[in-house]
Amino acid sequence: MTDEPTQPESESGPDPTRVRYLTPDSCRIHLGTHGALHVTVRDERIYGGVYAAYAFPVAYGDQFISLLHSAGEGKDVEIGLIRNLSDFPPQQADLVRQALARRYFIHTITRIHEIGWKYGFVSLDVETDKGRVQFMMRWKSDRAVDYGRRGKVLIDVDENRYLIPNLDALSPGERADFTRIIYW
Amino acid sequence: MSGPRSVLLNMPLPAELAHLAAKEGVEVDRAWLTTATDLNLAGSYERVFLLAETDRLVTLALPDKSGRPATRICLARQSISEIRTRQGVGGGFLDALVDGIYVEVVAYSNARADVFHKTAAKLKSWLRGIQPDVGPEDDADPRRCPKCGMMLEFKGDLCKRCINRGAVFVRVLRMMRPYTGKAVVMMALVLAGIGLSLIPQQMIRVLIDQVLAPGQAGNLPPANATTWLLALVAALLGIHVVMAGIHMIMGRLASFVGTQITFDMRSRVFGHLTRLGVDYYDRYNVGQLMSRVAGDTEQMKGFVHQMTSGFMAQMITVVAVGAVLFSLNWKLAMITLLPAPLVVTAAIFFWKRIYPRYFRVWDANSKLHGTLNTILSGIRVVKAFGQEHREQNRFARSSGYVRDSFRGVEYTVTLFNPSIGVLFQLGGILVWFVGGQWVLAHDLTLGKLMAFLGYLGMFYHPLGQLTQLTNWLTQFLTATQRTFEILDTNPQIAEQDQPRPLLEKGGSIRFENVTFGYSRHEPVIKNVSFEVAPGEHIGIVGKSGCGKTTLINLLARFYDVDEGRILVDGIDVRELQLQQLRAYVGVVLQEPFLFRGTIYNNLTYGQRDATPEQVLSAAKAANAHEFIIRHPLGYDTYIGERGAGLSGGERQRISIARALLYDPKILILDEATSNVDTESEQLIQEALERVTAGRTTIAIAHRLSTLKNSDRILVVDNGQIVEHGTHEQLLGQKGLYYKLVKIQTELSREPSVDALSNRKP
Repeated sequence: MTDEPTQPESESGPDPTRVRYLTPDSCRIHLGTHGALHVTVRDERIYGGVYAAYAFPVAYGDQFISLLHSAGEGKDVEIGLIRNLSDFPPQQADLVRQALARRYFIHTITRIHEIGWKYGFVSLDVETDKGRVQFMMRWKSDRAVDYGRRGKVLIDVDENRYLIPNLDALSPGERADFTRIIYW
Repeated sequence: MSGPRSVLLNMPLPAELAHLAAKEGVEVDRAWLTTATDLNLAGSYERVFLLAETDRLVTLALPDKSGRPATRICLARQSISEIRTRQGVGGGFLDALVDGIYVEVVAYSNARADVFHKTAAKLKSWLRGIQPDVGPEDDADPRRCPKCGMMLEFKGDLCKRCINRGAVFVRVLRMMRPYTGKAVVMMALVLAGIGLSLIPQQMIRVLIDQVLAPGQAGNLPPANATTWLLALVAALLGIHVVMAGIHMIMGRLASFVGTQITFDMRSRVFGHLTRLGVDYYDRYNVGQLMSRVAGDTEQMKGFVHQMTSGFMAQMITVVAVGAVLFSLNWKLAMITLLPAPLVVTAAIFFWKRIYPRYFRVWDANSKLHGTLNTILSGIRVVKAFGQEHREQNRFARSSGYVRDSFRGVEYTVTLFNPSIGVLFQLGGILVWFVGGQWVLAHDLTLGKLMAFLGYLGMFYHPLGQLTQLTNWLTQFLTATQRTFEILDTNPQIAEQDQPRPLLEKGGSIRFENVTFGYSRHEPVIKNVSFEVAPGEHIGIVGKSGCGKTTLINLLARFYDVDEGRILVDGIDVRELQLQQLRAYVGVVLQEPFLFRGTIYNNLTYGQRDATPEQVLSAAKAANAHEFIIRHPLGYDTYIGERGAGLSGGERQRISIARALLYDPKILILDEATSNVDTESEQLIQEALERVTAGRTTIAIAHRLSTLKNSDRILVVDNGQIVEHGTHEQLLGQKGLYYKLVKIQTELSREPSVDALSNRKP
């Protein structure tokens, strides 16, 4: 069930001081009332209104995924971590992937049609996994942050996010135009 | 619904969707709130509408190919016990708590986040059975530019889309207005200098054509030739002497005006920085601001220099010499202009390709300053963790970035400038070739050709320099725009035109439904209301990050509330004169900030006219006098940056004495004793008892023992006041305060806390 030293769980939930890894043997991920994501942890309880978050979104894509639920009063409690999503049955893994897709609303840029200046902002016209998008961002280092070794996350004026996973995957011309402006 | 409607919260449904919804039993016309999101719950772009009827919440979207109904979610009001927004990454959710489970009702991208924060607030009232008002006032968004609607970085920020870039020069010229007289004299001298510089070539022409050539040919008597020669040489000497004098006076004037404008600009920028709110400093690195104040303002001096001996003088020279060239021989003059189109093309290339690299240099320098500032400010931490080598590497990376970015620009510039030079030389070579042939054919005199070639040097040199105009202009406009950006940033904490005076001066405080957040998605203080009577001592406790310090930041008006209001002696703090408010509210911080200077200067920081007797009394009351007097120079002891040379407890006692001299009616103590040892704490506590007597006092402390004698204690959790009462009452309630006391008792063996827990009823 887990690589971590096990210890008895309290009835109210997991021990907040230790990492608990969820496995297909120890839990079941399913949909419940109103289509909300639920996790049933064996010998513990059913958690409703669950959402998923990456622990290492850049370094480990499908691994170390935290499942959390709201315990009320603005407090979110971690039910446990999934070490590797591929260990789970495909249907359950898909539910987690859908939850991640909901939480991480990020456009992945596949092509840069145009990058330039407009009103003192950097203006971009890009092709993304969600279609062609034009947006403007401030020309500041915290608006284009590193993603891994060669990637960048761009944050537009509305704080929407656009990911370039690997600058080297862009064509030389697109890369040259991009780094001429976003050089850091 | 009648009356004025909100564009954002009373959106009309598309006709097709309204029709489908009506067929599914949704009472579209009776919805008191209708808004739309840009995402569906799968995280894909889709227009989904949220409707709030009197007794249910419905989401609607046009059916897709699967033929599912338009109604996506329908929740009865009585089944919902809570509504909240939850921040995701790049967007968020509006959740409803149904049967103990948070159900995602709507997903939205960050572009719609504000709309759904407002929606959630309305729905919360609706859940409580209060029908909220929805109207045009809900469309206002202080975080967007009122002119163009562009999202601003923070409330009151400058809209970059609306900046008038062309006005930069006009503004710089306007800054020269006080020195108009000197500037006029300066420009007259520039013109005189240029006019004089044109004469020697004409004299050379006369010398060759009228004196030397006829002399050599024997057409001119030797005595006459010598007289002419002497006269012309003397005139040349005279002209150069006068020009030297003009340059001396011009240089002095330029230096005076340039340094004065820089001084004026620096003063204005610094003055404005002191007026900007604390939130401005939350967003900008101090190192970057230092670079702006010290470096960018220096460009003003460069502007004056460019007027007198830089591009402006060179442009006038080019025009004047060009006119002379055309008057000497227009055909030859035309040949000199042949490279012009190539020069223009090169300049455009320069603007497009090299321009952004200057920003890189500025950014690199700014980052270097920032890195240096961070490392040196935190040198004790660096040493404590033995991370000198790592920091050295970090600095080397920053320094390398500066080196590389400079090289990037300079390598390109060194390639560009000689290439442009070759273009100009091409013109000169053509003049030699064509003009030389004309002299040989006796179509042109040798004197004219020599004068022409002399003028050519005067023409090409400034023209070559003018290619640097783009270079300078780039730096100047960038630096100036950055400087004006500071000056154009409105202080968020603005004073009213006619602030109201504090007449009563009782020291009462009233928070009314105050909501506030540092970032637009996360309120830190949520609908907080409480009252403090004059002279009352209030303790505020709560876990780290619960909003305690934010409450006092709002009271001291370091930030303005988003919703609700704060009253001091019955007047909204936003209506008071800031200086009066700050004099009324004294703050003793956890990290007392002392300035470089004497202890005396630090004590009298807020009260420059304090007498020595007052200073001594304040220091005595703050238990500071004893340690000050032990220093060889007593109150005149010079202390270093941030109070270096004093212990934490000593610094704190000085800051208490400083607050005491300020004599505020309301005193805020923010963790005033948390960073000191037990002995110092005791001394500080004694001092505080004396200082707070008769004053309204709000004290924040982690060590609950220090607050047990407060008249009332407010317990803050998650931005709300969850408990209030005296120490004994709160222990009796066995709520959060009781829990915190228990935790401290278990964690600490300090007698004060042990004693505290023993007082349980």
